[in-house]
Amino acid sequence: MANKTDTVLLSDTFAAGLWSENPVFRLLLGMCPTLAVTAAVKPAITMGGCVIFVLLCSNIVVSLMRNLLKPHLRILIFTLTIATFVTIADLFLKAYIPDMSEALGPYVPLIIVNCIIICRAEACASKNGPAVSIVDAIGMGLGFTLAVCVLAIVRELLGTGKIFDIVILSDKVFVPWVVMVMPAGAFITLGLLLGLVNKITKKHKR
Amino acid sequence: MSKVKFFLQQSWLLIITSFIFGLLLAAANAALRDKIEQNEQQKLNKKMAELITDANDFALALDEVVIQLSKSKTVKTDLYRAIDVGGNTIGFAYIAEGPGFADKIKVVIAVDAELTKFYGFKVLSSNETPGFGDRIKDEFYNSQYAGAPFGDFELVKTGDDKKIDSKIVAISGATVSSEAVVKIFNSYTNKIKEKLQAEGLITNGK
Repeated sequence: MANKTDTVLLSDTFAAGLWSENPVFRLLLGMCPTLAVTAAVKPAITMGGCVIFVLLCSNIVVSLMRNLLKPHLRILIFTLTIATFVTIADLFLKAYIPDMSEALGPYVPLIIVNCIIICRAEACASKNGPAVSIVDAIGMGLGFTLAVCVLAIVRELLGTGKIFDIVILSDKVFVPWVVMVMPAGAFITLGLLLGLVNKITKKHKR
Repeated sequence: MSKVKFFLQQSWLLIITSFIFGLLLAAANAALRDKIEQNEQQKLNKKMAELITDANDFALALDEVVIQLSKSKTVKTDLYRAIDVGGNTIGFAYIAEGPGFADKIKVVIAVDAELTKFYGFKVLSSNETPGFGDRIKDEFYNSQYAGAPFGDFELVKTGDDKKIDSKIVAISGATVSSEAVVKIFNSYTNKIKEKLQAEGLITNGK
C-alpha cells in the first residue's frame, strides 16, 4: 500500500511540473529565458536541455544535503550548487554545440539566477528525498522545455515561415510577421498563450 | 578558540562543498578546454577566411604580441599571416578588443600585406544590445571598413556609408557601439604597424 502511495506521489509530482504547476504558464518563473531564447526552436530546445540538466543535478545534491543545511546558509549553498552545474553546462555547450552556445550568449550563465531552479531547491529538494526530487526536476524541466518550445514554434513559424530551417509556410501564401521574432513578439505570444492556458484551466475546474 | 569552533560548526558544509565543486569545475575545464580552444581557432580561421578571400592558409606570424594601448594598459594579441596558393603573404589579421556598450567587444581585423588598406573586420564576441549595438555585425556598418585606407578612423553621425574612406557613419541608436569599434581599430593600427616593421614582416616603411 505504501508503495502504491509513493508511486501516486511521484506521478503527481511529475504531472504537476508539466501542467498544474508548469513553471512558465502557471508559476510564471524563468521569464527571462522564456522571452529571450524563443525566437527559434533550436535555441529553445538547447535552453530546455540545459535547465533539465542543472535542475536535476542541483535537486539531487540539495536533496542529499538537506539534513545538513543550516537555515541561514541554505541559499548560499543552493547558489553554489547551481552555479557549478551551470558552468559545466556552459563549458559543454562551448565544446560540443558552439553554434548554440553563441546563439544563447549570456542566457546560459544566467540560468544561475533562474527562479525555477532555486525555487525547486527550496520548495522540493530541501524537504524531500532524492526520488521525489529527481521526479520533480524532470517534471519541472520538461514543463519548462515544453513551454519554451511551444512559444518558439509559434514565433519562428509566424516570424519566418520556417521551423528548423524547413519552409512550412511558403512566401507565396504567407508574408512573415517579422515582429514575432522581435522582443515584442515574445511578449505578445506569451500573453496569448497564458490567456489560453488560463481558459483551459478554468474550463477544467468547472 | 570558541569563535573558530563556532565558525567551523556553521560553515563546514559550505567549505567542503566549495572544495568539491571547485574540483568538479577544474576537472570539467581540463576535460573540455582543448575542444573549446579548437572550436575558437576554427571560428577565427573561418572569420579570417571570410575577410581575406584569396588566402589559402593562415599562419601564426607573431604569438602573444604585447600592445601598449595606454600608459597603464597593455594587451596581448596574436598576429596571423595570410598566405595565397603560391605561398606569398597577401595580408595580416589580428585579434583586437575593447570596451563596448554592454561588455567587451572582440574582433578580428584584416589588413593587406603592404598596409595600405583594411580588408575589414568580423566580430568574434560581443554582448551588445540586440537590435541596436549588435548591428555592428550588419553589412551597413561592417562594409564601411572593407577597403578603407590603413590609418585612423573618424566616426560621423551622418554621411555617405557607401563611400569607402576614413569616415565611418555611426549606426542610428547605437553610437556607443559604433564608436567602440572605431576606437578598437584606432588603438591597434599604429601599434600593429610598428610591430610588423620591428619584426621585419613589412619592408615598405609606411
